[in-house]
Amino acid sequence: MTDLSVVEPWVAGPLKNLAEDARLISGVLLYPSGRAVGQFGFSKAADVMSICALTSAINASSRELGRQLYGKPFYEMHHAGGDRQVFMARCMAGAHEFLFVGVFDRESSLGMVEIYFAEFQKALEQLQPDTEPVKPLPAGDFERELNRSLDSLFGPIG
Amino acid sequence: MRTAPADVVATLSHVPGVAVAMVVGAADGLIVETSGVKGGAAAGPDTRKHTAALAAYLYSKVSRASHAARLGTPSFMRLEAERGNICVVGAEDIVLVTIVTPEANLGRVRLDMMQAVRDKS
Repeated sequence: MTDLSVVEPWVAGPLKNLAEDARLISGVLLYPSGRAVGQFGFSKAADVMSICALTSAINASSRELGRQLYGKPFYEMHHAGGDRQVFMARCMAGAHEFLFVGVFDRESSLGMVEIYFAEFQKALEQLQPDTEPVKPLPAGDFERELNRSLDSLFGPIG
Repeated sequence: MRTAPADVVATLSHVPGVAVAMVVGAADGLIVETSGVKGGAAAGPDTRKHTAALAAYLYSKVSRASHAARLGTPSFMRLEAERGNICVVGAEDIVLVTIVTPEANLGRVRLDMMQAVRDKS
């Protein structure tokens, strides 16, 4: 696993445990707005930027799809690829809402990822700081916020 | 004749000493079918989902070890712990998992699990 980096230090412990226990190859923790909070397994800011934007969009789409189909939003998704699988879910820590996306292969399983993700959620709940949750951003601020969080993870680009 | 997962679980859960019987996906570790929790284990939190995922994972690693040692596919796996046993039998795409009390007749449990796998295929 590539070194873990976080914007908010309090998520480092739970995120590290999740990565190791569930044997994830890579993962990103972010706010639903697309702002990155922590990552592991990535060495390029551009990759994390793409993943944050896509995860944020997929989350919004899947929630609406769930509402349309079942009257309530989907909060967890799993895609089983040939070699690698993607797990995507939301988690709450008090009033803070996060999204997590992780990649795993045959060294793990969906069942393993689900049980350690549940433990990750509990850990976040216990460690959450007493701060105001990040409010949704106006549409025009998305890119600026994303770049700011990526600078925190990988250092300023150029 | 193929036996339905619900029937496999029902049969195994009636074996004396079996506290939980589950049919679990071998690849994803998710529960396909499970019995209720019997005996003292019923008093605590429900850990069937954890047990299923970890037992399936452990069985996959044991299979790799067995193949690496050129012993072929493991037919029966038993994990002996302080307060009981976890027994696992693989059947292609699923694994049968039982949580068994220390007082159980393990020979009977093993026989019935192996029979359930034969009936499934």
